[in-house]
Amino acid sequence: MQITSKPWKLVLSGAMVLTLLAGCGTSNTAENTGEGTGGEVTVSKEGFPIVDKPVTLSLMAPDVGIQNWEDMVVLQQMKEKTGITLEYRNAPKDSFETKKNLVFASGDYPDILYAAGLTTAEQMNYGEQGILIPLEELIEEYAPNFKALLEENPDVRKSITAPDGHIYSLPVVEMSQHWYRNPLWYNGDFLKALKIDKLPETTEELYTYLKRVKEEDPNGNGVADEIPLSSVTVTSANLRDIRTWLLGAFGIYEEEIYVDDADKVHYTPMEEGYKEYLTFMNRLWSEELLDHESFSQTAEQKKAKAQNNRVGLFSDWHAYMTKGGEPSTEDPMFAPVKSDSVDKPAIAKNRGITTGAFAITESNPEPEASMRWVDYLYSYEGAMFFNKGPEGMLWEYTDKDARVKKYLPVPDGKEMEDYRATLTPNYGIPAPTLSMDDINKGLKTDFDLWVEQETQTKLLDKGARIPFPSLFLTVEEQTEINSLNSDLSTYVKQMEAKFITGAEPFANWDAYVDTVKKMGGERVAEINQAAYDRWKSN
Amino acid sequence: MVTALKESKGDKLFLVSTYIYLCLALVVVIYPLIYILSASISDPQDVNSGAMWLFPKNLTLDGYKLVFENPKIWNGYLNTIIYTVIGTLLNLVVTLPASYALSRSDFVGRQFFMGFILFTMFFSGGLVPTYLLIKNLGLINSMGALILPVAASVWNIVVARTFFQSTIPKELQEAAHIDGCTNLRLFIRIILPLSAPIVAVMALFYGVGHWNSYFPSLIYLNDETKYPLQMVLRQILVLQEMSAETTGAAISGEVAMAMNSKAETASLVKYGVIVVSTLPIIAVYPFLQRYFVQGVMIGSVKG
Amino acid sequence: MRGKRQLAVSGNPSLKNKSLGKRVLQNWELYLFMAPALLYFLVFHYGPMYGIQIAFKNFVPSKGITGSPWVGFDHFERFFNSYYFWDLLWNTFSISFYELAIGFPLPIILALAFNEVRTGPFKKTVQTVTYAPHFISVVVMAGMIITFLSPSSGIIIRVIEGLGFTPAAFLTDPAWFKTVYVMSGVWQSTGWGTIIYLAALSGVDPQLHEAAIVDGASRFKRMLHINLPTIVPTITIMLILNMGNILGLGFEKILLLQNSLNMEASDVISTYVYRAGLVNAQYSFSTAVGLFNSVVNVMLLVTVNKIARRTSENSLW
Repeated sequence: MQITSKPWKLVLSGAMVLTLLAGCGTSNTAENTGEGTGGEVTVSKEGFPIVDKPVTLSLMAPDVGIQNWEDMVVLQQMKEKTGITLEYRNAPKDSFETKKNLVFASGDYPDILYAAGLTTAEQMNYGEQGILIPLEELIEEYAPNFKALLEENPDVRKSITAPDGHIYSLPVVEMSQHWYRNPLWYNGDFLKALKIDKLPETTEELYTYLKRVKEEDPNGNGVADEIPLSSVTVTSANLRDIRTWLLGAFGIYEEEIYVDDADKVHYTPMEEGYKEYLTFMNRLWSEELLDHESFSQTAEQKKAKAQNNRVGLFSDWHAYMTKGGEPSTEDPMFAPVKSDSVDKPAIAKNRGITTGAFAITESNPEPEASMRWVDYLYSYEGAMFFNKGPEGMLWEYTDKDARVKKYLPVPDGKEMEDYRATLTPNYGIPAPTLSMDDINKGLKTDFDLWVEQETQTKLLDKGARIPFPSLFLTVEEQTEINSLNSDLSTYVKQMEAKFITGAEPFANWDAYVDTVKKMGGERVAEINQAAYDRWKSN
Repeated sequence: MVTALKESKGDKLFLVSTYIYLCLALVVVIYPLIYILSASISDPQDVNSGAMWLFPKNLTLDGYKLVFENPKIWNGYLNTIIYTVIGTLLNLVVTLPASYALSRSDFVGRQFFMGFILFTMFFSGGLVPTYLLIKNLGLINSMGALILPVAASVWNIVVARTFFQSTIPKELQEAAHIDGCTNLRLFIRIILPLSAPIVAVMALFYGVGHWNSYFPSLIYLNDETKYPLQMVLRQILVLQEMSAETTGAAISGEVAMAMNSKAETASLVKYGVIVVSTLPIIAVYPFLQRYFVQGVMIGSVKG
Repeated sequence: MRGKRQLAVSGNPSLKNKSLGKRVLQNWELYLFMAPALLYFLVFHYGPMYGIQIAFKNFVPSKGITGSPWVGFDHFERFFNSYYFWDLLWNTFSISFYELAIGFPLPIILALAFNEVRTGPFKKTVQTVTYAPHFISVVVMAGMIITFLSPSSGIIIRVIEGLGFTPAAFLTDPAWFKTVYVMSGVWQSTGWGTIIYLAALSGVDPQLHEAAIVDGASRFKRMLHINLPTIVPTITIMLILNMGNILGLGFEKILLLQNSLNMEASDVISTYVYRAGLVNAQYSFSTAVGLFNSVVNVMLLVTVNKIARRTSENSLW
């Protein structure tokens, strides 16, 4: 960055004094990377090593703080294999955003951004400014695996291409995870106690189940301490876990923006179906079927209630994570219910890709080598390697050709996940990779298979689809949406809570819709419609 | 305290009510502190369900084990002590002389200097230019980046100045000058020894600031071996806090598993970390209290 | 260094009549005293000051601060035109003043009480214990507030019920948010706040007390007429400084206690900016809002300082 103002000169003269004081500072080696390696590095288009001379690149990623990245087996072996040495400029995961912004704003970029979670806005912004380099030609030449993936899945290419036609980042591709958000789970003990063998299929039946949980003491402790349905407060999303699954009963796919079967984009908070959802929730609230602490309790508090076997229906990745105990097939997954106003419930499905996982900056002296490096992660072999570490540590093949494996005993009696976290960086961060069924072949427990079965029959077979594709807005559209949303989403969230708790009577619904319109609700739908039409016609 | 020979009834009543007031304050404050201690060694489920409300229940040391098994923790302690000691010394060297100068009514230009300093309390260039400055000074990834940018605080300078102004009698300075004492000698030989309380307060304010600080290390340090304690503890907490932040929005199964494996110890660690990071600094306070006793300085002035 | 004669002159009461140059010269060392602080503020505070201009620009990282395009008052307009602008301003002001009204006098009273008590284990314990909460992190603090006030299991709720009252919905009722916020803040910072007054109280002249005892003044009277006046300058300055920070209400704790039900009372300027920044790194917008805060704060500070200067001899300048 160039600064030529006068105060700066003053600062620089002060700098000489101060550098003396800062004697303990070491020079930042990451800044000089690449320059020493010279320009004559040859990058091979296939096979390993990738480069004929050692190359050093700097990489920035969120760090969960379990193991230094230098010491991870996966990254060490990757270095030997490829000839590319990485220097890590990681930031702790919870403050990664801050550091990422700073790095961009200050012009002091790393060569590679890994698992950076770049938003589409950031990709466009920094791409347009030349900070992130376009990747499409590199993909063509140096990423055989990723190229094949794009050819098989044209939607992926559509979703990672910015409006200016360039691809600025590689995505996380998720082929085996179909949930839009954590599912809801029924408490199996309650179902048994209430002798329910057919899960609710309509909102009325769901209501009846919740009512019975409340009144018939299914946990059998003689006290009416059951909480039929419970949610938690999170900074930005009260009730989101429930909302995600109940909106579908009224024909709505997503809480904010979704496209219907006729390619029309809707802004949910002003839809009629949303009103019906609020009405239903208000009914649950007023009869105390929805936990009255849902707007104020923490996740831990909800969990503690569930562990005391008090909650009838709740959201989590797996039921046992909230309920405690071992994985159990006794707690069935919630099958989306429908109301009278629709023929079948709307069910949202995971988009399958998250953009912004990997990007190369303009300071990178070896973009070709970097592309080859990351391309490995989109092959079965590389994805497996980065997911579970090298063979012989956490797992080994029982049938290599059929890709069947088994887990090995974990050393030192550690937990498997903790051990895995010391082997590979892909732990708890959105890393660029391809996740597919083959990776877990042979490693799945009966429980895993049961969950897959539940997902298949209750969601996928019932017509789950992606509510709104992952797509780009133009810079102007994005700016407008951001500025509309800052007030709009606050208003919608507040009003949702008020309607549900009865603080705002439904007589005021029309006034509410008017306000939403005045604040630009229709405009939000319009902008997204335009973006969707573009995406569709690509 | 002055010892009166006879205490009137009113005085006794006043003293008793003072004691009652302090006891009340003690009870109100100590309860949550005990709660934190107990929560750091109780089964998390009992803590979250409200079953543990005073004394530990279903004792477990897993939280502390997790903290102290982290190999970086001792290095973090060491770094923090180094940063705190050196940083605080620098703070005192910069702050005390400046506040004393500003407290002198015969110091020409003190209004201007005061304004010059106060202005920075309200207006700052923001994070980006500050980061660039540190970078251009070559301080990135060095101890200097943690100490130099916080070498003084306007607030503390003003507080110290007020102390000098209101407790150092003007006659003292005039007398010293008549005796032929230079300002430097006056400050070091007379003012400083008389001002033990404010030196203690400044050391405490600045020291605690350094001890608790993590943001500069987050921004400016790349090398983990230089991380102060607070950064190490934050790292330990990162996974624990993930569970709360992503509720209802799972990214992938792999993330969910990671979250779940950590969520168990989450609250344990959260409370344990508070204990680990604050006990040392709380232990320092009683030693500073002796500087706050009435009359420690005035006697020597008169003498 | 200097001749004895010249220094002797500096003690002369007729100081005011001397020329500016002489007055500067005779205290030349004081400028040296100032030098490190001045250098520090110049380099680390005035150096980056050019960054303020991004409040009037659309900051584009690759173009840098000086190279980004000017947009005038766009960001300010966006803030002022926000649907919630007046709510935000009101909430910020009311929480700050509420906090000041309760949180400012308490440390003074506590410090005066400490001062009455004989030095010993009891005093030491109370002092150390009340000081400890200052170190509890915001996350844990908010977590405890939520736990203690939980309608189903919170200890405070149970105590209120035990006393036969119906507890309010402290966590979700907008009418209670400010009280919960302020009281927990008072709990956390009162002990810490006494430190500065305790230091100031050490300046009380014991001879004054002895004289007062001879005159038959009660303990309470002595506290009121000897101890309190001693710390008035400190109190005044602290009040002025606090007034200058009215809009600087932090976002962390509020954010953690905020939920969609209490939002109308809990949304303040800093949480609004935080949310705006979450969507996109909006440096320019948050700098603009920060600048607005600063200008209002400065106006408050100047006003209060003026009042203080008129009514007492204690002021910032």
